[in-house]
Amino acid sequence: MSQEIPKPKAEIFDLRRVGNLPLLLTVLSAIGLIVSAIGAIVPSLRVQFAHSWLFAFFYFFTLGAGSLFWILVHHATDAEWSVVVRRVLENVAALLPKIFLAVVPVLLCAPILYHWWNIAPGVDELIDKKHNYLNTPFFLIRAAIYFGVFTFLATTLKRLSVKQDTDGSPRHTISLRRLTFPGIALFAVCLTFAAIDWLMSLDYKWVSTMWGVYIFAGAAGSSMSLLVLLVTWLRKLGYMSYVTEEHYHIMGKLMLAFCVFWAYIGFSQYMLIWYADIPEETRYFIRRNIGTWNYLSTILVAFRFFIPFPILLMQPLKKKPVWICSVAALLVTMQALDLYIIVMPMLHKTGYSLAALPFDVAALLAIGGPLALLFLKGLGKQSLVPVRDPRLELSLKLTN
Amino acid sequence: MALQPPRKVYALGAEFQTAGELFRAAEKVRDAGFKRWDVHSPFPIHGMDKAMGMGKSWLSAPVLIGGTSGFFFAMILTLVPSTVLYPVVVHGKPTSFFTTPAFFPIMFELTVLFSAFTTVFALLIFSQLPKWYHPLFNWERFSRVTDNGFFLVIEARDPKFSESKTREFLEGLGGQHVTLVHD
Repeated sequence: MSQEIPKPKAEIFDLRRVGNLPLLLTVLSAIGLIVSAIGAIVPSLRVQFAHSWLFAFFYFFTLGAGSLFWILVHHATDAEWSVVVRRVLENVAALLPKIFLAVVPVLLCAPILYHWWNIAPGVDELIDKKHNYLNTPFFLIRAAIYFGVFTFLATTLKRLSVKQDTDGSPRHTISLRRLTFPGIALFAVCLTFAAIDWLMSLDYKWVSTMWGVYIFAGAAGSSMSLLVLLVTWLRKLGYMSYVTEEHYHIMGKLMLAFCVFWAYIGFSQYMLIWYADIPEETRYFIRRNIGTWNYLSTILVAFRFFIPFPILLMQPLKKKPVWICSVAALLVTMQALDLYIIVMPMLHKTGYSLAALPFDVAALLAIGGPLALLFLKGLGKQSLVPVRDPRLELSLKLTN
Repeated sequence: MALQPPRKVYALGAEFQTAGELFRAAEKVRDAGFKRWDVHSPFPIHGMDKAMGMGKSWLSAPVLIGGTSGFFFAMILTLVPSTVLYPVVVHGKPTSFFTTPAFFPIMFELTVLFSAFTTVFALLIFSQLPKWYHPLFNWERFSRVTDNGFFLVIEARDPKFSESKTREFLEGLGGQHVTLVHD
């Protein structure tokens, strides 16, 4: 209480400090893009490419959307603790418009990804009944709406926050808060329907009303984990020394909350379907427990919930960057596995196929590499912390 | 005070004017190495636990024990009847360990219930509640603690306690009305 906390000056990220990382990322993205392009061009590989690409796209989409969610919650609740790490979240969320570039191949490949696309009216009564929602023009219009909403929210939240760095007006804090109230509702609706459109409609016969929440739970938890990793990485480079173990503690608590929430929603969805035992519903889980998919599903449950849960439960471990980063890395990886199990069994119906591996890796590199490069480039354009946020001082001397 | 019969000495108490004074005094008492002492104020003072040198609360340990026993209790309560005693097929579900998902809500609820109960009762035990009487009530000025008084009390059972030296120490900290409180 007695010692004074130094107010951070504007810290500008210097790309030179990361050494050869941009070069490495460029090479990796090039490899990823070339392999993906081969998959897209060769007709026999196109189905595999489409599924791998959808998986990779949605993975990065959830990470970006989750970061956007945390900024929205930060402003809506007038939070103090997250001021010091907010700019990192803003930089991740600002990638959302670019992430949406990656949806173009998904839309181009939609006829081979989504079976309802090619079914003529009158063939399947079910698809006729769903036709008002599942039809090509409306599908594309919805994609455009998601793009608009996510882009508007991410860029506006960042623009006003960066503007405050120069003029220091508390007015921005208030207008940001006003924006987030409708923003949260728009976010929830768009993420839910994006999850329904791009993932759930892979099997148009299957429905789950919990689907949107399930995807949201994974997105929020994994993007908080990503934030922990990014902040630790920046600290290793010598930036953000003002982030203390108290901030780590809060981030760990939120990781714990969403680790449990994901398990809660995932299990609720599973149990209701398992207990009711209706063929149209159980097909989802039967498909994901055939052959080797069963092992991957088990690994997901174990490493997404049972392993991180007791670690995150312990207060001292949440304050140790080594532990919290290991768990964060695990959760970010498990988010990829989660989406993989959602997408890939639709193509490889008998079990995991090694033929998918090169295209999965390529798609992850082809989307993740450029995004990482853009993130590094965007990071240096403004201070790493909102230097003139009115709540900054409270955030600096945070105690739990 | 004259009405009080001579009894065992409970503690030495000192009064402070503001929360800040009490806070600084607490830091000095902590640094002086006293173990059996406490502060009393009309409202919670932020950072006082650190100023008093208190570590993390031990409450989480009994809660963990309570929660795990609730979980295992629920497991036994559901799985033993439905797989061993009365293995009846319901809804076409197995009568083995793999029927567990149906009982997860019960396990979850009992974990929460047992955790909540142990939290409440362990908290009461840790804070030695309920009790009808506390020696500090013998000190007339102490009634101000619900209004505008800030008190620091060093108990006689503290190994470093000595009536004269501790009195000097408390007065040196700026404590007013330093009073010997009897049991």
